[in-house]
Amino acid sequence: MLSAAEWEILATSFRVALLALVWSLPLAIACAFLLSRRFPGKFTLDGLVHLPIILPPVLTGFLLLLLLGRRGPVGVWLEDVAGIRLVFTQEGAALATAVMIFPILVRAIRIAFEAMDARLFQAASVLRAGPWDRFFTLALPLAAPGILAGAVTAFAAGMGEFGAVITFAANIPGETQTLPLAIYAVLQQPGGEAQALRLAAMSFALALSGLIGAELLQRWMRRRLQG
Amino acid sequence: MKTLDVHVRLTRGAFRLAAKFTAPGDGITVLFGPSGGGKSSLLAAIAGLVPSQGEIRLGKRMLSAQGTHLPPHKRGIGMVFQDARLFPHLTARRNIAYAWTRAPADKRPRLEEVARFFDIMALLDRPVGNLSGGEKSRVALARALAAAPDFLLLDEPFAALDGQRRRAFIKVLLEMHRSFHLPMLVVTHSIDDAASLASHLVALKAGEVVSSGPFDAATADPAFAALLDARDNGAAVSSLLLHTVHDKAQRYLWLRADQVVLAAERPKAISTRNILEGEILSIRQEADGGRMVALQTKAGRILSRVTAEAVDELALAQGRKAWALVKAHAF
Repeated sequence: MLSAAEWEILATSFRVALLALVWSLPLAIACAFLLSRRFPGKFTLDGLVHLPIILPPVLTGFLLLLLLGRRGPVGVWLEDVAGIRLVFTQEGAALATAVMIFPILVRAIRIAFEAMDARLFQAASVLRAGPWDRFFTLALPLAAPGILAGAVTAFAAGMGEFGAVITFAANIPGETQTLPLAIYAVLQQPGGEAQALRLAAMSFALALSGLIGAELLQRWMRRRLQG
Repeated sequence: MKTLDVHVRLTRGAFRLAAKFTAPGDGITVLFGPSGGGKSSLLAAIAGLVPSQGEIRLGKRMLSAQGTHLPPHKRGIGMVFQDARLFPHLTARRNIAYAWTRAPADKRPRLEEVARFFDIMALLDRPVGNLSGGEKSRVALARALAAAPDFLLLDEPFAALDGQRRRAFIKVLLEMHRSFHLPMLVVTHSIDDAASLASHLVALKAGEVVSSGPFDAATADPAFAALLDARDNGAAVSSLLLHTVHDKAQRYLWLRADQVVLAAERPKAISTRNILEGEILSIRQEADGGRMVALQTKAGRILSRVTAEAVDELALAQGRKAWALVKAHAF
């Protein structure tokens, strides 16, 4: 049904979105937990987290290029010291995607943390559970439905990331060409509309199944939590 | 045997509390007083859940003092709340195991023993979401016990229960105290609950301790009587000194002055088993015109409220003999 080129595009999209999720999730959980409490500087952190939503994606990609590009301050260091090159690579595409899906993750997970009953944490603390213990044994499992739903939504969104990825990682078939980038590429060629439609249908089906999957997962986990 | 020494000040908004008392390491101390007097805040401060100034000491260990404030998980103090606060993502068994695995290995009780004691073997593998209220509170008690605390604080744990179930819960607490030698500090605003549980009492009003000490002495303090509703006025009597249908263990009964009948001669042919001979200590006129008669008996001081006419007719007077009739199984 799908051609070899289409399979490759799909595989690239999956790899980029998955890698982005793996990189983004731990920091997003930490950020969301922080934002669910009170601390000095909360307002600033909240703003920073939401920057990728507010800035044009192309600008986010451009900022990454300035910072991590071959002549960017961090980019030079990464290439000299660690031998890592991010621009125009699949890891680069994943990094740009990770930055873009970060606010989606933080928002979903933060709501889950905020909905938790603070009295349970008091109960745990008088049962000799310290702060880290409480985080791993209470906060994380209780927020699991929200974390999972956020992750699925972010993964689906990550498969469709365009502006930041094309700016930072370019449009290289087999390396950084994800579904939306492939649609863009075929549209640049005369007579590419039919191919673009096929890719668009794939993209649509993926996004929709992601949303439905998130909803079902969340329902299932809620039911398990409530017994 | 670790005594709990508390000498703290704490502020919550406009409310100020300053309390100094000692809860013995071998008894049940009841923290008694009207709502809004700061009982729950004081308990939270002892557990380390809210900040306080001053000193809190458990045995030789300083839990809180100038410069050292141990966090709740390092205090070795357990707490049972008004609501059970079971962890919803765990079964009853794993709720209890949560406490047990974090308790010092040399102090913690055996898990089967705890489960059998609270009669919860059958519900161990159920998620806590579908337990009944009474089952939840039993699991919460089991969990608190499994943490092997040095001292257990209970914040009106039976507030939601009524009648029969409340008395059953109090009985479980008493047995738990006896079987596991666990000292307790229990908050309540019911004088009957206080009397059933307490060996010692700390009475708190508007953020101040108005009386404290062994239950019978602390409740005989006039400052304590002022805390009570007029209809609750009375005296504590040891259950061992009365004929009761209760278990034989020592505890107190609260004899309301309204429920004690006075006779000027020893009554005959009467069903009442508790007829206490005594000497009248004082007769005081009450605001409503009634008379409060204090009687010294071998069971201790007893109060009886009678009418002015009865005092005249029976020729009751200070120093005279009288008999108090008490129907003790009414408790």
